[in-house]
Amino acid sequence: MTYIVFILSTMFVVGFLGFSSKPSPIYGGVGLIVSGGVGCGIVMNFDGSFLGLMVFLIYLGGMMVVFGYTTAMATELYPEVWVSNKAVLGGLVVGLVMELMLVYYVLGEVHGDVVIEFSDLGDWVVYDMEDYGFVNSEAVGVSSLYSYGAWLIIVTGWSLFVGVVVIMEITRGG
Amino acid sequence: MNPFALIIIMLTVVLGTLIVMTSSHWLMVWIGFEMNMLAIIPILMKKYNPRSMEACTKYFLTQATASMLLMLAITINLVHSGQWSTMKPLDPTASIVMTLAMAMKLGLAPFHFWVPEVAQGIQLSSGLILLTWQKLAPMSILYQISPTINPTLILTLSILSVAVGGWGGLNQTQLRKIMAYSSIAHMGWMTAAMMFSPMMALLNLTVYIVLTTTTLVMFMMNSTTTTLSLSHTWNKTPLLTTAILATLLSLGGLPPLSGFLPKWMIIQELTKNDNIILPTFMVIMALLNLFFYMRLTYSTSLTTFPSTNNMKLKWQLNPIKTTTYLPPLIILSTLILPLSPMLILLE
Repeated sequence: MTYIVFILSTMFVVGFLGFSSKPSPIYGGVGLIVSGGVGCGIVMNFDGSFLGLMVFLIYLGGMMVVFGYTTAMATELYPEVWVSNKAVLGGLVVGLVMELMLVYYVLGEVHGDVVIEFSDLGDWVVYDMEDYGFVNSEAVGVSSLYSYGAWLIIVTGWSLFVGVVVIMEITRGG
Repeated sequence: MNPFALIIIMLTVVLGTLIVMTSSHWLMVWIGFEMNMLAIIPILMKKYNPRSMEACTKYFLTQATASMLLMLAITINLVHSGQWSTMKPLDPTASIVMTLAMAMKLGLAPFHFWVPEVAQGIQLSSGLILLTWQKLAPMSILYQISPTINPTLILTLSILSVAVGGWGGLNQTQLRKIMAYSSIAHMGWMTAAMMFSPMMALLNLTVYIVLTTTTLVMFMMNSTTTTLSLSHTWNKTPLLTTAILATLLSLGGLPPLSGFLPKWMIIQELTKNDNIILPTFMVIMALLNLFFYMRLTYSTSLTTFPSTNNMKLKWQLNPIKTTTYLPPLIILSTLILPLSPMLILLE
């Protein structure tokens, strides 16, 4: 259980390999769903329960559904699975081998310090000397997005709106 | 394009660059770059043919990769310093990655391969926005991180860009590709200046934007995209041949014209810092740039191809194309060298 975050992050990378080896988008969606679920688990291991459930609800339940419908509209006659094309299979195998080598390196030689330290990352819940005991920084962070982060809300909302306008413009054709 | 959508998209392009230039939080900088990139894609795709779609795809892929490198640099900076402020010095590793990200966004060598191909596949007006407005945001980030940029990295990028911009433009007859290689070379000069005096890099950026705008508006006036059609300018708008001559020579950096000012200032800053070989090399490579501008002026203004007598003068109709601010731009792009003592105000 000590290594649960490490195991989940390895599964996260393997899920990414599922779509970055470039099969057809329908099959790539499987990799995204696995990675999304595992990412939720990683976030929850740092006491981020709200944000983890946000991943499932908004990311997988909103964006992935839309992605699934659009790729279903754009199917091709002979879609690429991971084993149908030597390039895709080769990419997948190379990625898996690299990930296994990295896991061996991290667990064996370096004891968990690749680029940054993974051993002391801390939690979101802060057992601080505040007036009311515990502070769940994750929930406080989401709520302060609407007060201190009002400019960020405006910018991201505008960006999402412009994203839809741009996509409509591009796919409109002549 | 629907005017309402065009206004929204143009506003987002401007807003993205302004957010990049004025944010104090690195995440907002990244958001600004993404907004800018997202909104310029439909502008690049004004005509719906496979050529422009290919150009847009190439642009999108390289800029998205550069944004991801920027995000990596921001994350490395966050891990090493624990804060997101742009006012604090960057961690050295983050600085290297961010310089590479900005180099990809600007089109510095060795990340320059997308610039000629994207510039060639789009309309002239879209090329104008691509080569001028899109340089503002990455240059402002380089300006902000200039105290912590690794000198070896940025001078390598700069030398390679000046060389590639010179040699790459030699075999071109398409005007948009010539302007793309010109952009690469000028970016090389700017990043060399960034190391020693960021103010001179901004001066170079300003003069380069004025020059490129002038040149591209003059090309747009006659809708010329090849050297051959540019050589017919004496027949359509004879006055423009003089203006093209002056502007192109200014772009090449010849002395009594404006384009000489940034090169002179940059060489002065470099030699003040005991760098002799670098400015010598850059000036010699700038001669290659001057050669292909000279070739354009030769075929446009200095010679006239043989033609029959009834083709010597076209019927001069009222011009329909609006050329925005062309007279002030021509004056700015040729005559501001006498204002150079005003640079003393920058000290």
